[in-house]
Amino acid sequence: MISIKGVNKSFGTVVALKDARLEVKEGEIMALLGSNGSGKSTMIKILSGLYNPNSGSVEIDGKKVKIKSCVDAHNEGIATAFQDLSLVPTMTVIDNLVLGIEPLGKFGLLNRVKAVRMAKDILDRLGVVCDMDAYVQTLPMSTQSMIEVAKAILLKPKVLLLDEVTASLHHDEIQLLFNLVRELKAQGIAILFVTHRMGEVFELSDRVTIMRSGITVIDEDTSKLSMDDIVYYMTGKRPDAGKAEINLEMKEERELILDVKNLKQSKVRDISLQAYKGEIIGIAGLQGQGQPTFIRTVLGLMKPEDGSIIYKGKQTHYKSPENGIKNGMGFISGDRNKESIFQHRSIEENIYAGKAATQNIFKYVTVKEMKQFSLDAINAYKIVAGNVKDPATSLSGGNQQKLVVSRWIALAPDLLLLDDPTKGVDVHSRREIQQILRASALKGMTVIISSSENEELIEISDRIYVFYEGEISGVLKKEDMSMEKLVAAQMGMTSEGNGV
Amino acid sequence: MIENIKNAIIRFKRSPAFTGFALFGFALILNIIIRGPAVFFSAQSMGTLFSKNAPIILVTMAQAVLLITGTLDISIGIQLALVNVVVIMLPQELGVSIPVAWLIGILVSLAISAVGGFLVAVLRIPSLLATFALTFVVMGINVLIMNVPQGSVPKAYYSTYDSLLFGFLPVAALMILGVALIWAVVKRTKFGKHIYAVGADPKKAFAAGINPTGTIMKAFLFKGFITGIAGIALTLMIASGNPLQVESYGLKSLAACIIGGLGFGGWGSMASGVYGVGFLVLIQNAVYYFFNFLQGTIVGFQITSYWQNFISDLIIMLGLLMTTVTARGQREALKQGISRQIKRGDKHAKES
Ligand SMILES: Nc1ncnc2c1ncn2[C@@H]1O[C@H](COP(=O)(O)OP(=O)(O)OP(=O)(O)O)[C@@H](O)[C@H]1O
Ligand SMILES: [Mg+2]
Repeated sequence: MISIKGVNKSFGTVVALKDARLEVKEGEIMALLGSNGSGKSTMIKILSGLYNPNSGSVEIDGKKVKIKSCVDAHNEGIATAFQDLSLVPTMTVIDNLVLGIEPLGKFGLLNRVKAVRMAKDILDRLGVVCDMDAYVQTLPMSTQSMIEVAKAILLKPKVLLLDEVTASLHHDEIQLLFNLVRELKAQGIAILFVTHRMGEVFELSDRVTIMRSGITVIDEDTSKLSMDDIVYYMTGKRPDAGKAEINLEMKEERELILDVKNLKQSKVRDISLQAYKGEIIGIAGLQGQGQPTFIRTVLGLMKPEDGSIIYKGKQTHYKSPENGIKNGMGFISGDRNKESIFQHRSIEENIYAGKAATQNIFKYVTVKEMKQFSLDAINAYKIVAGNVKDPATSLSGGNQQKLVVSRWIALAPDLLLLDDPTKGVDVHSRREIQQILRASALKGMTVIISSSENEELIEISDRIYVFYEGEISGVLKKEDMSMEKLVAAQMGMTSEGNGV
Repeated sequence: MIENIKNAIIRFKRSPAFTGFALFGFALILNIIIRGPAVFFSAQSMGTLFSKNAPIILVTMAQAVLLITGTLDISIGIQLALVNVVVIMLPQELGVSIPVAWLIGILVSLAISAVGGFLVAVLRIPSLLATFALTFVVMGINVLIMNVPQGSVPKAYYSTYDSLLFGFLPVAALMILGVALIWAVVKRTKFGKHIYAVGADPKKAFAAGINPTGTIMKAFLFKGFITGIAGIALTLMIASGNPLQVESYGLKSLAACIIGGLGFGGWGSMASGVYGVGFLVLIQNAVYYFFNFLQGTIVGFQITSYWQNFISDLIIMLGLLMTTVTARGQREALKQGISRQIKRGDKHAKES
């Protein structure tokens, strides 16, 4: 159906694609895989007309086509849900959905009734509940992702490109999305999707194409590949047998770092949680059960309505996250656009920002110091970057996330709060981040990590608190962690072992 | 029903136009207090108010469209003078009939706006820079067409402009209403939506299949059309020609838009601009009548117009400060939105 061959693309000195190729057939779901910065998004942007390649040819149904702009791509039947979202934040949901394809009524005026009907239909199928007249910037990230997908599907494409759309979605939303994708597949649409969640690859895709450093390494039926094969093609190395075994022996007398008692704050209705020094606490739950609120309340971004937060033995009365950070807390958010990345500042300034926040604001920062600090971080966390002076947005999505993680871990906070920190990070780097977290925990850092991905939580946590409707529906200890128990608790079935 | 009205009010409070509306309301009340409702709302007083201020109001409406599109035109004031000299000189020197001269005036305005649009949209010169340079070009053209202030407009025309339709509707107000109606229609076309997208983020607009260059160009042409009408209104107001006048309208219209709550690009509406300029105009009006009143009641009280300007500008500056206060409502709404975003699923869950 669609194929692209011999694509080269470079940004200045950074080569993003080298003679890359890709082919998706009618009614086929193709997973496009690769480490962070391997050129997946670049490939997608070329197919959707956002970038012009240095060379390469695109064929649709055997005919050569020229894609010079997004309009060309639309005309060829290619629609894209972008990783960094193409929604205009200051426009309403309905305006965004029909932007560029506005249905017209009499006298060339917009037909709102028709637009609402179109929008409602697709949003219902994706299970999105939101006010059509709400400004997009006021919506949660996951809803925005869903709207981005809906917008692409509204174009009635022959080829649908989905770039890491599941990254900020939760389990239940992903299922709705996958059902729709399967429907589209049955209609003969060619679908290309990028993800770092391996479970999704095996669940949804017919074939996989794997990229490494801008080169297409292989394309193959999914059924013929194992997880280890995929990691091999992505990294060029066979993964070490088994997971890194970590000594989990707990010291008897542990120091209680964080003691939250009966916390209440909007969505959080009654949460009690204890975290000890050197412990990694996982927070699980379906989307919207109060996890983000909880983390941000501990940090001081929101005031508790009731209950108490005792941190290092003292009751906290934080007015802003600044207080939390000054007292040795660190915070990493998955919503990197909103909360974490200074988009127009350089990579090195971004890495340095966390350190600057803990210092006296009048402290003089030497260029050399900043450069060294950021280079160390880039090496330690294997961030793929062209030049540290480039703006942070020139990094690939996953590398931006690694940048944020490195910023905080380098500061060795006493309590690190993470909200979906590995969103969009490839499997390999994810393991590296996990190992770094574990190593830091062994050195005495306490980690609280919320994640939408259950496998990840089970792998890393010492204990998992499961949130359900703003309360704890279960606490799983390392010994009795299993996928089944976790999912059951997420559905609100209180599991044994409740209360520590 | 009451619920609906309440919601509409809440929505209006959060809408970008609210800031300007609050200030406008304040200025309006000030006028009513100083002059008394009967006098202020009398047909005659309304007539003067509109006929003296229609050009700046129209220009602000044009500027608002550009600001929404994420650009601006600082040369818009001197462009009014261009239209003015064209519609005066064509009948005077070439004997062209007045309606035809007006039509040509609008065409000239469209042409000069096309030049501005070309500089900004195609050559991508920052709009402030490009249109500042354009100011001097237009000035040159104006002086070439008419070297010194001169000319006249037949009485039938300007007295119509100053008159009241059906004894209460100022003709100048009708011109504003006409442009507002055209905008109400244009706003509901593709173009009306696209300028918001391009203004907010041209890259994202491009990704949605919109042509930002074309959209900015069209916005400039639309502005050119309104400027043409404003130029005719100006001509009727002063009933003569002057090649170097109202240059300050460029900055004034910009200030009005900002007071009215228009952001740079994709935020706000034409109504914001209208409230903003309404505030400016009404404050000047109020100060003028206030000093008149003082001079009438206190014997020997004399004051120069510089003082009047000083006082009204002071109030306008206070207005700008107040913008930040009234804008808090909106910022609150925005903050709520963002915190909802931080809290992620909460709203989602609540509504389902
Ligand atoms: N606009 C740009 N300017 C400079 N370099 C860029 C730009 N866009 C991408 N790159 C570089 O090109 C390479 C490929 O980036 P790309 O976004 O395609 O990666 P990706 O495979 O999508 O990664 P991820 O999984 O992290 O999203 C990266 O090294 C990135 O730094
Ligand atoms: Mg990417």
